[in-house]
Amino acid sequence: MREVGIVGVGHTKFGKSPVPFLDMCCQAALEAMDDAGAKTGNKNHIDQVFVGTMGAGMVSRISGAASAVVDTLNIRPAMAETVENGPASGASAIKLGYMAIASGVANCVLVIGAEGMRAVTGWEGTDFVATMLHPDGEYKYGLTLPSLAGLFTRLCMDKYGVESKDLSIVSVKNHANACHNPNAHIQRTVVLERITNPAYINATNPLVADPLRQFDMCPVSDGAAALLLVAKDKQDEYGFGHKKFVRIAGVGSATDTHYVANRAVPTDLLAVRLSAQMAYKMAGMTPEDIDVAELHDAFQILEIVESEEVGFFPRGDGHLAARRGDTAIGGKKPINTSGGLKAKGHPLGATGVSQVVELVKQLRGEATGRQIEGAKTGLAINFGGFGNNVCATIVTTK
Amino acid sequence: MEQMYCYKCKKCGKLHHPRYIVCQNPDCDGREFEQLPLEGKCKLLTWTRVYNLPEGYMCPWLNFGIVEFENGVRATGQIGFDDGIESGMELVSTVGVVKEKVIKYKETVVEPQYGFIFQKA
Repeated sequence: MREVGIVGVGHTKFGKSPVPFLDMCCQAALEAMDDAGAKTGNKNHIDQVFVGTMGAGMVSRISGAASAVVDTLNIRPAMAETVENGPASGASAIKLGYMAIASGVANCVLVIGAEGMRAVTGWEGTDFVATMLHPDGEYKYGLTLPSLAGLFTRLCMDKYGVESKDLSIVSVKNHANACHNPNAHIQRTVVLERITNPAYINATNPLVADPLRQFDMCPVSDGAAALLLVAKDKQDEYGFGHKKFVRIAGVGSATDTHYVANRAVPTDLLAVRLSAQMAYKMAGMTPEDIDVAELHDAFQILEIVESEEVGFFPRGDGHLAARRGDTAIGGKKPINTSGGLKAKGHPLGATGVSQVVELVKQLRGEATGRQIEGAKTGLAINFGGFGNNVCATIVTTK
Repeated sequence: MEQMYCYKCKKCGKLHHPRYIVCQNPDCDGREFEQLPLEGKCKLLTWTRVYNLPEGYMCPWLNFGIVEFENGVRATGQIGFDDGIESGMELVSTVGVVKEKVIKYKETVVEPQYGFIFQKA
């Protein structure tokens, strides 16, 4: 297969977007194209566009988003497809971009992930996200993503001794990292004592889905991110030779039961483990090769368990690693240097692309204020549903 | 529907909940199921109390749990009481309205949805 790499990245400021969905997509796309030096009109080399989004049609009232983006950017007649895979839509779009180039169908692919979450009320948004649950067994009961995360967290607490404070430690770390990311939704230091002290915890950090509290889960954000992918054998010809080629070394994805109650081991995130193993195998790498990781911490318990399932720590030790500072910048396995979903924000379809934007910045040495010195290889885990569809991506400069 | 069911594969006998189209036994390819009542005593495996409910609920919170019935079938549902909920406790299933309204294209309509509401045994 052909070598495929990333030569351009773009990212909007996550939070409440001042512009509509399509503008967000184009803003991120143009930043990525400018980063690489890609042109529009007659000088365009992009022959395929993938837009990953979960709810553009439902929430932003834009269907066929990729077609609209291609026209707006004046890169017709590029092929255009919109990809919907729940919150893993972004990583799925990257995987499809990789496959398109590796197979020879395309030479240069623009991948965009985007979501407008804040155009509707909180109740409507919660309902929209919950539509990915099992329709008869979960959704109709009023269950939501925080509900499933609450059920999952209690199981992990009972089995592995994870404490509420461990979730807060992860949250404080990610908020600290986000202070150095100008595109993060929340750039504010969070003090551990303030969100864990029993004397006032119900005021500063109220319960949302017992045992989960407000600081144990991500905010609701708008945003978009973009990557420009090119075949290694076309990089110089297309004028991108001046950019460091961040190679996509491995992609993997796997599924698990839709109905969460039917998982053989309810505390496992099997699709995380299988997708990571697939990506490691394709890359010819092991967890020891990973210098920096972006894990899908829509809920802080997920960062802990994912750090185990991808092989960084033994099962049941992820919370102990967080306590030791192993996952902080300067630790032996830095996780979510961008601020993660917790503080950078989680515009569903944008997240998978945003994670890889952060990894590219790390591997280029451009992650000012949060740089992992000498980082050469990064892993991203993008988690769809409540772990029923997960995508892993490994990028490297080796 | 005021009765909840599990579904027994006519080929291998595996019990399922909720309803599937193909048997979930990896060594079976059955597509026909016998519908059997799913009710009675069950054990609470995990639970949560949720305060940010989706569109359509007017109550301040709801309790949810995952249970395992005596026949080994697991199910998710609402818990119908507030005090003394603990993982591992014995419950009994009842069936009631778990949602009053459903969202259809462009409108919300009254259409009661029935499902599990677990009570103290």
